[in-house]
Amino acid sequence: MIPQSEAELPGQGPDGDPPEDLHLWKLPRGRHGLPRELVARSQRERLLAGVVRVTAEKGYQASSVADILKEAGVGRETFYKHFKDKEDCFVAANDALVANLEAHVNETYEQPGSWPERVRRGLAETLNWFAANPAVARVMMIEMGTVGPIASARFRETFSRFTTLLDDGREFIEDAPDMPNLANIAGGAVFARVYEEVALGNIANLPALLPQLTFELLLPYIGEEAALEERDATAQELAREGDAE
Amino acid sequence: MNQELEPLSEAGVLTPSIPWDIGARTQRDRILKAMAKSCAKKSFAATTIADIVSHASISRATFYKHFSNKRECFNATVDSFLAELRGSAENALPDGDESVESAIREVIATLLGRLAAKPDHAKLLLVEAPIVDPKLVQHYRRITLAALEARLRAAEVEARAGADPEIAFGRAKVLVADYVAAGKAKELPSLLPELVYIAQLPYLGQELALEQAQLVR
Repeated sequence: MIPQSEAELPGQGPDGDPPEDLHLWKLPRGRHGLPRELVARSQRERLLAGVVRVTAEKGYQASSVADILKEAGVGRETFYKHFKDKEDCFVAANDALVANLEAHVNETYEQPGSWPERVRRGLAETLNWFAANPAVARVMMIEMGTVGPIASARFRETFSRFTTLLDDGREFIEDAPDMPNLANIAGGAVFARVYEEVALGNIANLPALLPQLTFELLLPYIGEEAALEERDATAQELAREGDAE
Repeated sequence: MNQELEPLSEAGVLTPSIPWDIGARTQRDRILKAMAKSCAKKSFAATTIADIVSHASISRATFYKHFSNKRECFNATVDSFLAELRGSAENALPDGDESVESAIREVIATLLGRLAAKPDHAKLLLVEAPIVDPKLVQHYRRITLAALEARLRAAEVEARAGADPEIAFGRAKVLVADYVAAGKAKELPSLLPELVYIAQLPYLGQELALEQAQLVR
């Protein structure tokens, strides 16, 4: 476990008084925040938030259903009404987080602009979302791999859905190489790098990787020269944003 | 692993008796194999000493004669498979003055073949090891890139401006691990053209890397 500060993992509300609105799942907040849609309104959502908090704190293998119940302030019977077991609950929580990240990415990707520009925005959104939610990033990227075959299959599906966005780009560009795994090759650069930064606890560093990762993501599709131009434009924009802040 | 056993067979020629530690070595190999099998089936985290003992058909006491815990056994399994991969990569390198491009094609083809032949070990290395210790990935990357770059430097090839060979390693790892995790380890050899492209991209650039991929289609 990468140690998390108190500020990042605020824990449970007042004793015996389950937070009425787990304001953003009581998960780490930042610029992009954890998703309004995920505000816990139901017992199910409290359990989803609970499993994420417990996993972020103790790791998936070391957490028990009892830990989740305590964290969520929900009874055992209710838990089993919603979920088959710990794994089921964890996978459902991950699905909710992925859906939220995807909604953010899709929204920015669908705004008008050139295809490389839209890809760059989608990537920026992804890096910022993870950076704003370090404990969540760890749960989704690292813990998810320790759960079991169902979670691992889900993880691969998620990665493949993200990279499929890239293959949509084939209609906007000419001469993309004819390779069955081109989207995986492009997206793999981002995935490998993000995974490593998250694993090593350098999550706050992710947004700074935008120029290089924009280059690597676009390179297989638009070639070196055009990808370098996108990289430099991205770096300039980041510098401008930095100055503005 | 074969290399490890070589001195034993030589000893066997001189002294017809079975070397004293052959049982121990076989046991150790069986334990390593059992570790890979159990990790492939249920992940390292969920693997218990009892699983290893049962897959290897040895006693718990025998396990502890070789390893003091599960993690130590895991590390030994990874190391032994890495040594095996390195050995086959070195054997695949042509001795003559073939081009560095053809050497890279040969090595990638050989590694894919080895991984395809041992799906449990492939999963151990590519899927489990990074979870057990994320620093291991940097470790393999250092070894792999050092070997690749030594070869390329000898041929006076350098990474292109803006290109990052570490990213190429990451792309290859993600693609191969994706196949292995999906249970498609046997299909790994079909990735040869794409992996040649990935490996060459930082050094030759898009067009020439695509040409290299075309050569192995």
